[in-house]
Amino acid sequence: MKQKLFLLMSLMVLVSMLLVSCGGATEAATEAATEAPTEAATEAPVEAYDGMVSEAPNCDYGGEFLRIEAVDEYTVQFTLCYPDPAFPSKIAFTAFAILPSEYVEASGGAGDLLTHPIGTGPYMVADWVRGEQLVLTRFDGYWGDAALTPTLVFRWSTESAQRVLELQAGTVDGIDNPGPGDFAVIQADPGLQLVARPALNIFYIGFNNTYPPFDDERVRQAIAMSIDRQRIVDNFYPVGSEVASHFTPCAIPNGCVGEAWYTFDPEAGRALLADAGYPDGFTTSIFFRDVVRGYLPQVSNVAQDIQAQLLENLNIDAQVVSMESGAFLDAADSGQLDGLHLLGWGADYPDQTNFLDYHFGSGSSNQFGEKWPDIYENLAAGAQLADDAARAPYYEAANNAIRQHVPMIPVAHGGSATAYDAAAVGAHASPLGNEYFAVMEVPGQDTFVWMQNAEPISLFCADETDGESLRACEQVTEALLAYEVGGTAVKPSLAERCEANADLTVWTCYLRQGVQFHDGTTLDANDVVLSFTLQWDANHPLHVGNTGAFTYFTSLFGGFLNADE
Amino acid sequence: MEKPVNNNIAKLDAEGLSLKSVSLWQITWRRLFRRKSAIVGLVILGGLVLIALTADWIAPYDPIAVLIDVEDVRVRQAPCIHLFGCPEDQPQHIMGIDGNVRDEFSRVLYGSRYSLFIGFATVGFAIVVGTFLGAMAGYLGGWMDNVIMRVMDVLLAFPSLLLAIAIVSVLGPGLTNALLAIGIVSVPAYARVVRASVLSVREMDFVSASRAVGGSTLYILFGRILPNALTPLIVQGTLGIATAILDAAALSFLGLGAQPPLPEWGSMVGAERNQVFTAPHLVFYPGLAIMLTVLAFNLLGDGLRDALDPRLGHVSG
Repeated sequence: MKQKLFLLMSLMVLVSMLLVSCGGATEAATEAATEAPTEAATEAPVEAYDGMVSEAPNCDYGGEFLRIEAVDEYTVQFTLCYPDPAFPSKIAFTAFAILPSEYVEASGGAGDLLTHPIGTGPYMVADWVRGEQLVLTRFDGYWGDAALTPTLVFRWSTESAQRVLELQAGTVDGIDNPGPGDFAVIQADPGLQLVARPALNIFYIGFNNTYPPFDDERVRQAIAMSIDRQRIVDNFYPVGSEVASHFTPCAIPNGCVGEAWYTFDPEAGRALLADAGYPDGFTTSIFFRDVVRGYLPQVSNVAQDIQAQLLENLNIDAQVVSMESGAFLDAADSGQLDGLHLLGWGADYPDQTNFLDYHFGSGSSNQFGEKWPDIYENLAAGAQLADDAARAPYYEAANNAIRQHVPMIPVAHGGSATAYDAAAVGAHASPLGNEYFAVMEVPGQDTFVWMQNAEPISLFCADETDGESLRACEQVTEALLAYEVGGTAVKPSLAERCEANADLTVWTCYLRQGVQFHDGTTLDANDVVLSFTLQWDANHPLHVGNTGAFTYFTSLFGGFLNADE
Repeated sequence: MEKPVNNNIAKLDAEGLSLKSVSLWQITWRRLFRRKSAIVGLVILGGLVLIALTADWIAPYDPIAVLIDVEDVRVRQAPCIHLFGCPEDQPQHIMGIDGNVRDEFSRVLYGSRYSLFIGFATVGFAIVVGTFLGAMAGYLGGWMDNVIMRVMDVLLAFPSLLLAIAIVSVLGPGLTNALLAIGIVSVPAYARVVRASVLSVREMDFVSASRAVGGSTLYILFGRILPNALTPLIVQGTLGIATAILDAAALSFLGLGAQPPLPEWGSMVGAERNQVFTAPHLVFYPGLAIMLTVLAFNLLGDGLRDALDPRLGHVSG
C-alpha cells in the first residue's frame, strides 16, 4: 500500500517536472484552452487557435532568440535579444526548413526524419538507395508552380572525370563541379552547356593558435607573406577565380573593407620567421580532405604547391596529410589539427555574418584556437546594425584585426561551374550552391538526373552542414523565406512576408494559407514554432538530429537554450 | 664438413660427349639464357636498375622541382619533343608537365628507384620472416608447426590488398608503412614454400648424416637444410617482387602509400586519374612504367622457375 503511494507520488513529481520543462508552451496551451470554451460558446464555428510559445527566461543564455510565438494560425512572431538585419536572409536558409509537427513528433527527432523528410517542397522523397541514388518524385499538391519534370534523381561521384563522362554519355542530365581541365572540353561540345557559378566562396589555409609554433603571431604572419597566392590561382583554378584580398568576397556588402591582404614578399617573411626564432624553418603538416569543392577544385595539387612554396620560401618542411572528409571536419572543428589545414567556405546567405561570424565570432568552433576579442567584439557590434554604411567601420576593424592576427590565410575565391545537357531548360548555377531543379527539364524526358560530388549525409538539414546534403534538402523542404533561383536575393516562400518593428528586434511572419505538406497535413504557425524550437532548445525531447550538433543554428543564432555548459 | 651431394650435379654438356661437374647455378644460368622471354625480362630489369642508379645524371630536372616561373610551361602541358617537331625555342619535356608543373620524364625516371626499392625491400622482409617461420614450422613440427601455420592460414584468408589497406589504415599512410603492410601480407606465401621444402629435405640422407655426427639443431636447420630448400624460394621471391610492386602502386594510387611529392608511379597515376581524358600522358607513362617493371619480374620469375625445376631439366629451352 505504502509502496503504491510512493509510486504515485513520484509519478506526479515526474509529470510536474515534465510540465515545467515544457515551460511556456503548456502554459499558453492551458491559457488558450480555458479561453476556448467561452469563445466557442458565443461564436460557434470559429475555433480559437491553440498557438505554441517558446520562450527564454531572459537573454543571458547568449543566443539571439528570446521568444517564438504562434500568434494565430498563420502568424508567427520572433522576438530577438538584439537587432538582426540579416534575419530574413538567415531564416531563408535550408537548415531552417519548416517540418510538419505531427511527423516530427512521430519520428522522435531522428529516425525517418533523416532519410524520408516530409516537407512542402516541389519534390518528395520516393526512394533513397544508400550508396547509389536518391529518387525524388513530383509533389502534385505543391502550392507554387509544379516541378517541370516528374522524377528527379540525385546521383554522385567524387571523380570529376566520371561526372563529365556520364554527362557526355547522356546517362546524367546535369553535373556539379566539372574539373578545371574539363571546362574547355564542355564548352567545345555542342551537346553540352557550361554554366559558371559566381565565386561566392573562400579557400583558406587555417592555423590553430594553440599549437606551437603557430601560437606565435609572427610565424603566422611570416607564412602569410610567403605564400604566392597569385601563382596558386593562376595554375590550379579555372577561369572566373580570383585571389582573395579579404576573407569575404567583395560581392558581399562590407566584404572587403579594410586593408587588403599582405603582398607576396618572401624576404620579409623569412626575416619575420627568423625574428620569431625559426631562422631555419621547422617541420609541420598540411592537412586536407581529398574532396573537390567549388572553392578548391584541385586539392592535392594545391596542397603540394603550398608544400613546395613553404620549403622554398621559408625552409618549412611540411608533410601533406590527406584525411577522410568527415574525420577532417571533426578534427578541424574540435581544434585537433596541429599544422596548417586547407579548408574553405561557400556562402549560405549573402551577409558578412555568414562568413566572419561563423568562423571568428564568439560562438564559432575551436578551429582556429583561442578567439581574438578585437575580432569578435567588432563582429558582434556590426551584426546588430541594419545599415551597410553604419556597419562598415566595424567590419573594417574586424578585417584589419584578422589581417593582423592571421587565424588563416585567405587564398582564393574559386570560380566553379555546373554543366548540363544542351537541351536542358532552366539550367543554372546558384552562387549559394543550392540549384533548384523544379524549374529544369530536358524536353521529352520525364526524369532529370543530377550528379553531384558526394552523397547527402542525411536529409534532415537542420543538423547538416555539407552542401551536398543541403542541395538535396532544398528540393524537398522549404523555409519561411527563400533565395531567388540562381541568385541570393530573399523572396517569400512559406511566409508571404516577414516584417520587423523599428529596431529590428521583433519579426512577424505571415504564413501562406492552404500550404500542404507531402503527408497531406496543412502548414500552420505551430509547425513553424516547433521546427525552430527543436533546434533552439537543447532540452527539447526532439532535439536529436543526426549528430545533435545543429551547427548552423548555433553559429547563426548564437547558442542553444538550456545548453549544458 | 662435406658439401651436400645435390649441390653439384653431374651433367652431360650440350654435345653429350664429355662428363664434367657443373654447379647448379651455372646450369640455371645456362637454362635461363635459353629462354627468350627470360632474357627480355632480364634486359628490361637491367635497364630499370641502370636508370634507378643513374637517375641523378640522366634526369633532366629535379623530380620535385616546381617549374612555375622557371620555364614557360603550363600545368599538364602535353609532351614536347624537339626530335618530333616541337619548336626548338620551347623547353623539351619528353613526357610533358604534370599537375604541379614538374617534369614528368624526370619523375618517371626517379620513380624506378621507389618501385625497385619497394619490390626488393618488401620481398626481402617477407623472405627473412617467412623463411624463419616456415623453417621453424617444418623442422620442429608438432604444436609449433600447428600454431605458425594456422596463423599463416588466417593471414592467407584475407585478400592480400585488403589486408594491406587495413594495416596501412591502422599504421597511417606513408611509404614505410605501406612497405611494412605489403611485407606482412606476403609472409605466409614464403612460410608455406619454405616449410614444404624443409619437410622434404629434412628426411634426406645428408641431413641424417649431419644429425648422426652430432650437429646442433640450429646448424642442421640453417647450415644444412635451408641452403638446399632455396630454389622454390627464389622463384617465389622473383614473382613476389612483381606482386609487391603492383600492390604498392595500388596502395599509393589510393593515397595510402608514398605521399606527395615523392615521384612514385602509383601515386602519380592516382593523382592525375581525373585528367585521364584531358592529359592522358600523365596517366599513360607512369602506368606503362609499372607495367614494364611487373612484366620484367614476371618473365624472369617464369624463366627461373623452369630453369630451376629439375624435372624440366632437359626439355626446357
